[in-house]
Amino acid sequence: MTKEEIYAKVAATLVEALNVDDDQVTPTATLQGDLGAESIDFLDVVFRLEREFNIKIPRGELFPESIFQADPDFVKDGKVTARGIAELEAKMPYAELGDFKKSPTIENIGNLFTVELITRYIQSKLA
Amino acid sequence: MLLKDQVALVTGGSRGIGRGIVQALAKEGAKVAFVYKGSAEAAGKLVEEITQSGGTAQAFQGDVAQPDTATGIVEKVLSDWGRIDILVNNAGIIRDGLFVRMKPEEWDVVVTTNLGGTFRFCRAVVEQMVFRQRSGRIVNVSSVAAQHVNAGQCNYSASKGAVNSFTRALAVEVAGRNVTVNAVAPGFIETDMSEAVRNKAGDLIKKMIPAKRLGKPEDIAATVVFLCSPAASYITGQVITVDGGLSLGAVAV
Repeated sequence: MTKEEIYAKVAATLVEALNVDDDQVTPTATLQGDLGAESIDFLDVVFRLEREFNIKIPRGELFPESIFQADPDFVKDGKVTARGIAELEAKMPYAELGDFKKSPTIENIGNLFTVELITRYIQSKLA
Repeated sequence: MLLKDQVALVTGGSRGIGRGIVQALAKEGAKVAFVYKGSAEAAGKLVEEITQSGGTAQAFQGDVAQPDTATGIVEKVLSDWGRIDILVNNAGIIRDGLFVRMKPEEWDVVVTTNLGGTFRFCRAVVEQMVFRQRSGRIVNVSSVAAQHVNAGQCNYSASKGAVNSFTRALAVEVAGRNVTVNAVAPGFIETDMSEAVRNKAGDLIKKMIPAKRLGKPEDIAATVVFLCSPAASYITGQVITVDGGLSLGAVAV
């Protein structure tokens, strides 16, 4: 499957899971901020991606819950610690953390989860 | 018919309130699977009765307190009928006795059946309702004893109070997916479960009920049908008391 094909399928899945319009889903759209995803929506997205691409997504692999939930091991005073960043890098090798590292606040974590990131994740799973 | 071709699953369905619920759902056109623990004969009769009047029902033996009962039965219903639109957690038991003499096993079996069984069946259907169907109705049968307590029912009251809180908490999580979760809290209903109390204090109880009669399983079943019907799609996280006014606590004058 080409990256374009994966993206198209991911976008269609998000339209269905998040009940948004086609044109809202762009590569840079964030699930939380732009597409209005709540916590159960992330699980719904995982469920649909698994079905759509016939893959298994282990819990916490696409959306690392420990950091999302502000686990004190990885997050201090609203900021992701160096250990937390190392964790993100280890868990999400397909993510581009460059911008995030400049301001690694808990609010900015949501911005990591873009349509493009999910596409790259699926690409890495299918490779 | 309000529930034509919907698939319903009811626990504790062979006797008492559960039997009334199974009959009422079937009468409204739902295909009903129900769980019974010990009353194989009553369960068989109920399936026969529904089938003969043109409905569809099947019975599953199982103890809702056991860990694998819910997943096994839910899988079977899904493979037979493809979906579960309605779940009614009705199975419940009492082990009454004053707390100073209450045995740990009397506490455990009541909590594990009434609250644990409700949890297990909800857990077994929730992904189907929330992710696959994006629709569903869950009704938990609670009791007025959650709020209006009686001596000798620490275990039972605690389990039903927890069912009410669980109902509200789950309702919040799944409301956005067109799944409603409500509870019905019956008062004194004429069933085998309330027989001992009725024998001991039937006349006194009637005096305490403004409606001047005990409830029937049909009274509860009608409320369950309503909560599963299209008319109730905007009601969620509520505990509906059905008790002829008993819990109002009024004194007869």
